[in-house]
Amino acid sequence: MNIKSKTNVVSWSFISIAVLMICVFYFYPMVQALILSFKSGTGTNLNFVGIDNYQRLLTDTTFLAALKNTFLYLIIQVPIMIILAMFISVLLNDKNLKLKGFFRTAIFLPAVTSLVAYSVIFKYLFGADGLINTALMNLHLITTPIQWITDPFWAKITIIIAITWRWTGYNMIFYLSALQNIDNSIYEAARIDGASSSRQFFSITVPLLKPIILFTSITSTIGTLQLFDEVMNITKGGPGNATMTLSQYIYNLSFKYTPDFGYAATVSYAIVILIVIFSILQFKLAGDKNG
Amino acid sequence: MKKMMALLLASMMLLAACSSGNSGKTDGNGGTTGGDKGNEATKVTVWAWDANFNVKAMNLAKEAYAKDHSDVNVEIVENAQNDIVQRLNTGLSSGTTKGLPNIVLIEDYRAQSFMQAYPDAFYPITKNFKASDFAEYKLGPTSVNGENYGLPFDSGVAGVYVRTDYLEQAGYKVEDLQDITWNDYIEIGKKVKETTGKDWISLDPNDMGIIRMMIQSAGSWYLTADGKSADLAGNVALKEAFEVYKNMMDANIVKIHSDWSQYVANYNNGSVASVPTGNWFTASITAAEDQKGKWAIVPFPKLAGNAKSVHASNLGGSSWYVLNVDGKEKAAEFLGATFGSNVDLYQKLITDVGAIGTYKPAAEGEAYKAPNEFFGGQNIVSDFSKWTAEIPNVNYGMHTYAVEDIIVVEMQNYLNGKSIDQVLTDAQKQADAQIK
Repeated sequence: MNIKSKTNVVSWSFISIAVLMICVFYFYPMVQALILSFKSGTGTNLNFVGIDNYQRLLTDTTFLAALKNTFLYLIIQVPIMIILAMFISVLLNDKNLKLKGFFRTAIFLPAVTSLVAYSVIFKYLFGADGLINTALMNLHLITTPIQWITDPFWAKITIIIAITWRWTGYNMIFYLSALQNIDNSIYEAARIDGASSSRQFFSITVPLLKPIILFTSITSTIGTLQLFDEVMNITKGGPGNATMTLSQYIYNLSFKYTPDFGYAATVSYAIVILIVIFSILQFKLAGDKNG
Repeated sequence: MKKMMALLLASMMLLAACSSGNSGKTDGNGGTTGGDKGNEATKVTVWAWDANFNVKAMNLAKEAYAKDHSDVNVEIVENAQNDIVQRLNTGLSSGTTKGLPNIVLIEDYRAQSFMQAYPDAFYPITKNFKASDFAEYKLGPTSVNGENYGLPFDSGVAGVYVRTDYLEQAGYKVEDLQDITWNDYIEIGKKVKETTGKDWISLDPNDMGIIRMMIQSAGSWYLTADGKSADLAGNVALKEAFEVYKNMMDANIVKIHSDWSQYVANYNNGSVASVPTGNWFTASITAAEDQKGKWAIVPFPKLAGNAKSVHASNLGGSSWYVLNVDGKEKAAEFLGATFGSNVDLYQKLITDVGAIGTYKPAAEGEAYKAPNEFFGGQNIVSDFSKWTAEIPNVNYGMHTYAVEDIIVVEMQNYLNGKSIDQVLTDAQKQADAQIK
């Protein structure tokens, strides 16, 4: 008993440092933010307003527009990116492929660029007189320049193209490493049984990649809900609020308008709640208790 | 069970640590503010944006002051405007003034928002300069309850920069544009587009600067006169401004840009013929030296249907504020002795920086009367000063940018066919929910 409790104390004291750090730098601010989300006012003049902020969320057209945009990015961009990442990783995993290292690096490279830097470059590429428009015009695919950044529809497309470019390579790496862990003998057996390669893909590769699919879709979902840099730098949320995201709205509430940190905290809690809901949903859909 | 206990213990320790940390901070607040105490040379830190304009102007003030005040060491730090806003907000709301400057430049549209959100953070400088020497319209945004907190700096007085060569091709002279309404402006634009193929104006759908200028020319704003609530539904000036904006779009004379560099490029490469904007745009126009002699500046157009509308308005412009931290007295003295009273400094601001101040006595100086060769010998500074005196004084209130974002969205709806009254009513509803 004595020895046991002693080891317990020693082991707990090791853990306590990490626990303390997490409490100080994660849980304490989280609790503070939760308290803040029940206050409202300008700058430092904050007063408790009960659930007023949460009621305001439901009628706030900017918040609802931002929510709608975020969902649109989520529903369209995440599946495209996941499928693309999986497809590319399967191609790159081909034993007969030459210059494998080169292709892998090239596709992963966007993931190491700074978010702001690539956003600025995209803004210029997709500008009214930008490279993309010039190229399309010279190829006679379009007659008038597409307003990639200032048209509500095309601005969304631009953002989706940008984040897909930036994050596909990143997700591909996870699939690639998972693919390399799949025993080749399984494919060999399938081939002997006469399974076509598409059959192999859907009946072997996809099921075995399931944990990774789950992981990448959850991280991508969270990433999309927190989307900020690209929108801030490429379209500033515009035109109007056609590309506004929740994170950018939080920024505007805190720094662009007369600061209302209380309501901004409420919006950030809305994101937290959404992330929790989506993660649970995805676990359930994946249907695997072990994840 | 044990685990739970340990966790509880840990979190309790943590809470204790946090709360004691908090009280320590408030205690030390008074003593730990910026500025070197007891030092022979007092350091005055200044934050400003735009190296070629505000920072350069501040440097001139620093030089002028250093001649007979060796005990004050002015340090100017350049930051982007967004960064300054963000740092002030985080600094002031955290309650610690450590790391904040003594003097900061704040845009007039935002000034009330800062002063009212952080009531004790700024130092009144009423006694350091004579407010009546400055343009009337600058005093509203820079003061609260009769106390002046900001020393008015540059004028955002607006005019229309026009390409005279394109105008001539379309059969117009600069004289024809001296007393026009927005409807005339659009008609001329159509003619220019027809004959030269050049667009008439470049607009960013996310920036309603042109709407703000139009309504201020009629003495109106997004907010009511007390600056507290939105004034959108039933605002006749705003309604007309919306209609003018739509007419411009429909007339096919607008080139769309989405950021500052595209905006400037549209003018520098000669693809757009006129710019209604603030006088600080002069530097960007004159950057295209091959266009020397091809530009002129004409008075801001009036709103045709609004009797109160005049040929003068404002866009942007900012003022210097002293933060309530150690060294505030020195900082206030410095501002008073330079931007607050130094006529020679204002002449230098014109010649070296191209910055037009709002200090009335300065207008008597030589630099204000010199013709500008780039604008075909037009005496642009004296024209701008004349218009500055006519700018209607409006209260920018605390929420200009919050309302602007609502206006931007509703403008898109209006352009897509929603009725103007519905647009303004909806905007009013949203603004009321947001501003409390």
